[in-house]
Amino acid sequence: MTRGRVLLPRVWALVLALLMLGPALAPGYVLSYDMVWVPDLALRGDFLGLGSGLPRAVPSDAVVAVLDEIIPGMVLQKLMLLGVLVLGGIGAARLTDPSSLAARLVAVTLYQWNPFVAERLVIGHWPVLIAYAALPWVIEGARDWRRSGRIPARLWFLVPLASLSASAGLTTAIALVAFALVPLGNRALRRWVAVALLLAAANAPWLVAGLLHASTALTDPDGARLFGLRGEGSLPAPLAALGLGGIWNAEVVPGSRTSPLAWVALVGVLVLVVGGIGELGRRFGRRDTLALACCWGVGWGLAVLTWALPDQMAWLVGHVPGAGLLRDGSRILALCAPLLAAAGGYGAARLLSRLPEAARPGLVIVLVLLPVATMPDAAFGISGRLSAAQYPEDFSQARSVIDDQVDAGADGDVLLLPFSSYRQPEWNDGHKVLDPVGRFLAPDFVASDELLVSGRRVAGEDPLVREVTAVLARSTPDARAAGLADLGIGFVVTEVAAGPAPEVTGTTLLGGPDLLVQQLSRPSEAAVPSSWSVAVFGAWLAFASLLLGGLLDAARGLARHGPRRPRAPARDELSTDTAK
Amino acid sequence: MGTTSLVATGGSLIAGGVVAVVTIVGLVNAQTSASGQSPTDVSQPVSIDYGTTN
Repeated sequence: MTRGRVLLPRVWALVLALLMLGPALAPGYVLSYDMVWVPDLALRGDFLGLGSGLPRAVPSDAVVAVLDEIIPGMVLQKLMLLGVLVLGGIGAARLTDPSSLAARLVAVTLYQWNPFVAERLVIGHWPVLIAYAALPWVIEGARDWRRSGRIPARLWFLVPLASLSASAGLTTAIALVAFALVPLGNRALRRWVAVALLLAAANAPWLVAGLLHASTALTDPDGARLFGLRGEGSLPAPLAALGLGGIWNAEVVPGSRTSPLAWVALVGVLVLVVGGIGELGRRFGRRDTLALACCWGVGWGLAVLTWALPDQMAWLVGHVPGAGLLRDGSRILALCAPLLAAAGGYGAARLLSRLPEAARPGLVIVLVLLPVATMPDAAFGISGRLSAAQYPEDFSQARSVIDDQVDAGADGDVLLLPFSSYRQPEWNDGHKVLDPVGRFLAPDFVASDELLVSGRRVAGEDPLVREVTAVLARSTPDARAAGLADLGIGFVVTEVAAGPAPEVTGTTLLGGPDLLVQQLSRPSEAAVPSSWSVAVFGAWLAFASLLLGGLLDAARGLARHGPRRPRAPARDELSTDTAK
Repeated sequence: MGTTSLVATGGSLIAGGVVAVVTIVGLVNAQTSASGQSPTDVSQPVSIDYGTTN
């Protein structure tokens, strides 16, 4: 493979990433819906899965809390955002025609510049995006594993890294199973066991914590009806999903997706994919093409089910613990992207091969730029929806005064008021974000887990939140303070500008323009069953061993052999060379 | 080079040029009209919607 065919897709991936993120890369924190990053996230019991609610941010928060001891949180977030886009694009290029630069560039654009990436960036589902970026690499590693019989070192850390949340873990697991498993037989049993063990260890933190919370793992059926796959503009939901769109939240959908441009983008992608699927089957191998198709089928099928059968999905999440994982219909569409990028690349190469050589450059520009031209508002931080904000000074002061009290022996969780999930602070350019105060502070915190969607309430699952809600409804500040202390609340932090909040009697530690910090007297000590601690410790041990062992092994291999180059095309692959 | 090749080359270059220009114009235009799309409604400070379905 020529240097240009390796280098140019990497440069293009970086250009697209910089273009898409734009102002989000400025100094400050990108705070958008569920994406909350802070200067120094403190590790705490809840992040390990020992809290009272479902482990929604396990293990992602804990991993960030550890990593930001080495790299400051702001830098870490930028690296994550940039890395997700660039590595995802480069990975996609490796799935397609290695002999065609145009194919590789088209694959990069298709994988990076699509509604799934833009919408998940705005809604802040960064662990899902890490899994999305890792997919091509997991697929490549799993193919190597199947061929050589030996698990590549990079899978040891890629799989846990791509499983930083339950839905991310599910996506990664489906891809790994599709590519690594061999048909049942004498030698297959060991492979099946190895895949199961790898997945169990990589997903252990949220799996074990989820099992410990199984009694509260049923979610509000209304959530399934609201979070199912949706159409975008005039695109019906199943067609929107074909182009990787269809998120439930219309607020995070780029405007171009509701215009005729979405139809142009869909037709363009379909023409490339249909045109390239045959060549993909011949060059990528029938077994692996089938695996890509299976991933696509599972992703698209599950997503469409949430649209086609909302009532049945509602029943499922209301009756089967953990089924709530599937309620956000379009999240699983990540599984469709590798096929689209790989086949789209082959389709581009095939199309170009039919043209005279002199005519190819123009068409290359068309094919490579088409996704950008049809969704231009994904540029510059998705048209400014992603920007960098600085926390008000009160946040640092609040952390400092609470840390001082904790150092002096004070105990108890932090309660965040007003008791609602999302904020829309002016200092964040008016962008919505999950209340960031709790993550900024060091102790465990209690925040509302109730969601409002189009004015409809979706109940949370945390029993402690329900108890806190009942206590906050008491008639006097003294009664509320006493009730909260009984529930283990030691501090109450009220965001002043976020609206009216119930008054609570306590010692004022900070009364700033943004935050009011109060300390409650004699909070009860929250006891975590020792069996829970042991189980969670075991899960984390397995996860960390996998991650660190894989990283060390990969680093050793890198030091010994240098970076691994993409597989060179076979002789027969070069015979159909196009648009080099 | 035959007539077909010339037409294909010309058409391809024109198409490439048009898409490149449309992309650049689209990128610029999307940014200048972006403010209205940004969810900046701060009139409801409490119980803010997680999102809106269409």
